[in-house]
Amino acid sequence: MQFGLIYELSTPRPFTRETQKAVYDNAIEQVVLAEQLGFSSVWCVEHHFLEEYSHSSCPEMFLTAVARATSKIRVGFGIATCVPTFHHPIRWAEKAAFLDILSGGRVEFGTGRSSTWNELGGFDAIVDDTKKTWDEYIRVIPQMWMNERFGYHGQYHKMPERNVLPKPWQEPHPPMWVAVTATGTELDAADRGMGALILSISDVERNVPRIAAYRERIKHCNPVGAFVNDQIAIANWLYCHPDNTLAKQRGEEMVGTFGYMAGQTVEVSEAYPASNYTALGLLGSLRADPNAPGDQKPLSSGLCFGDPSTVHDTCKRWEAAGADQLVFMIQAREHLAQADVLDSLRLFGREVLPHFNNVPRARAVGE
Amino acid sequence: MVELLYGNRAANTLGAAAPALDLAARDEVVLKQVEIHYCLFELPMASALPRLPTSLHPSIPAILGITVWRCVDGPLGAFSLAYLGLACRTGIKPRHFIHGAFCDSPQVGTWLSARYGLHCQTARIHNLETYDRIHSRVDLNGRTILDLVTHGPQQLVGRGATVKYSPILNAATLGTDSALVQMETSFEFHRVSRGQPMASVYNGAALGDATLAPHYPVSGTFSLADVSLHPARFKLDLAVPAEQGGARKI
Repeated sequence: MQFGLIYELSTPRPFTRETQKAVYDNAIEQVVLAEQLGFSSVWCVEHHFLEEYSHSSCPEMFLTAVARATSKIRVGFGIATCVPTFHHPIRWAEKAAFLDILSGGRVEFGTGRSSTWNELGGFDAIVDDTKKTWDEYIRVIPQMWMNERFGYHGQYHKMPERNVLPKPWQEPHPPMWVAVTATGTELDAADRGMGALILSISDVERNVPRIAAYRERIKHCNPVGAFVNDQIAIANWLYCHPDNTLAKQRGEEMVGTFGYMAGQTVEVSEAYPASNYTALGLLGSLRADPNAPGDQKPLSSGLCFGDPSTVHDTCKRWEAAGADQLVFMIQAREHLAQADVLDSLRLFGREVLPHFNNVPRARAVGE
Repeated sequence: MVELLYGNRAANTLGAAAPALDLAARDEVVLKQVEIHYCLFELPMASALPRLPTSLHPSIPAILGITVWRCVDGPLGAFSLAYLGLACRTGIKPRHFIHGAFCDSPQVGTWLSARYGLHCQTARIHNLETYDRIHSRVDLNGRTILDLVTHGPQQLVGRGATVKYSPILNAATLGTDSALVQMETSFEFHRVSRGQPMASVYNGAALGDATLAPHYPVSGTFSLADVSLHPARFKLDLAVPAEQGGARKI
């Protein structure tokens, strides 16, 4: 199993330029250290208008800055939003290929479609169409990468034959992924031969059937790209400290902070009933019972908060469940001091990470 | 000190006129085939924050919800109900904080007030589904104060044929304390349609808050549903944030 980091770039109020810069600079410093410690990937979300929760509107810029400050760690879009009013598919093909060259072939191309009214309403998107537009994007973007010239007539876009430039460094193209929050999206990923970036943070045991179903389904996939990317990366939290009690306490504080920030967003399912948004998104995994009063939900048992031994055991449970990567959130709205975040990473890198093989799953090219 | 985003309305502006809750009322009531017209609009955050107590977070963006029920029969008799609220959060849970409510049955209004602190003015309420629109109107003292239309409703099918109504919160008096009380409801949907909402008449002052008005349409829905009304279960301190223990069971 491998380990990575994932960034929302959450930002505390008041939103001063100094605070914003510190959030970005701190994150880059963390990634540089993580690479030295043996972390294999860094992912960055794309979100818009999500006050405090995520000031990560341009993941390609963050990932480019990271790529130029590192040499080995893979840089992942977590995700690139495949909705017409947000981005044209040509622009995603160009940006990802550009970053792939600048990073020397380290791009992981995660895709998705947004699940908040904040974003879809803000961009005046056609909410009912997002899953269909996503499905179109993920099929044409690899063609733009692999063909010298490419044109198509899709349901949502059309283009005459053009040479989309540059082409990516990786051949035939970067691995493709799908963000998975609602149950069942992992099967959409499997059907299309794409990696599953599972963002619904929950217990290990709740993910075992999802992982098994993905593994079975992808055996019979029809890949949208030139190869099958059969990896499962699972978003998680990390705070590692010699004092197990303190580590859990700080972890709970971060999750609470995250819940406060995420809770203020307006999910599509709350604002705009639609057949393609029937399940709760990320917040669904935080809410035990939407009809319950203010009771605190116990923390998921799969979160990596604790001393090295505790965190090691939790990671081993994820490995046994079939996860290929754990990608950690390590900060929430700068709740922790940067020195504490870096110390947590160092401790994890020294005492936990060496107990895992830390090599990627072999890729089946041309399947 | 981290700056957080809470409502900033003083608690003492809410509790004084809050209805007294009948804590002995614990029966369940099921209303069959209720027609529900539910419209959401965005409004400026600057107008929402001063209207929410400090125990509630706003939603971002700020959202105004308008709900109209038409119940043709059942244990409470025939009645229509309209209420308006601001989307808010208790901790991470979505809710609507109610600032205005109307009912055409004084008896049902009294019942809702005692059960959930939902204080209703008596008004004439019209709710009608036609082939191309859902139309609701509230007339108070012979004057139309709300005229609401959802245009072009399209039927939602399959698993998408539901509406996630945010539970509503009302200021109420429990003994000597004032608190926010949730109206406990659950829904079994028969059909749901969704269209574009528009408020052609919106008299903010008459509807409960002159500072609030719809600015940008989000969605309008019409549902036919069986509605279960459950006993009130929890109360929320007006001034203590939910994540600091402001929510307690009644």
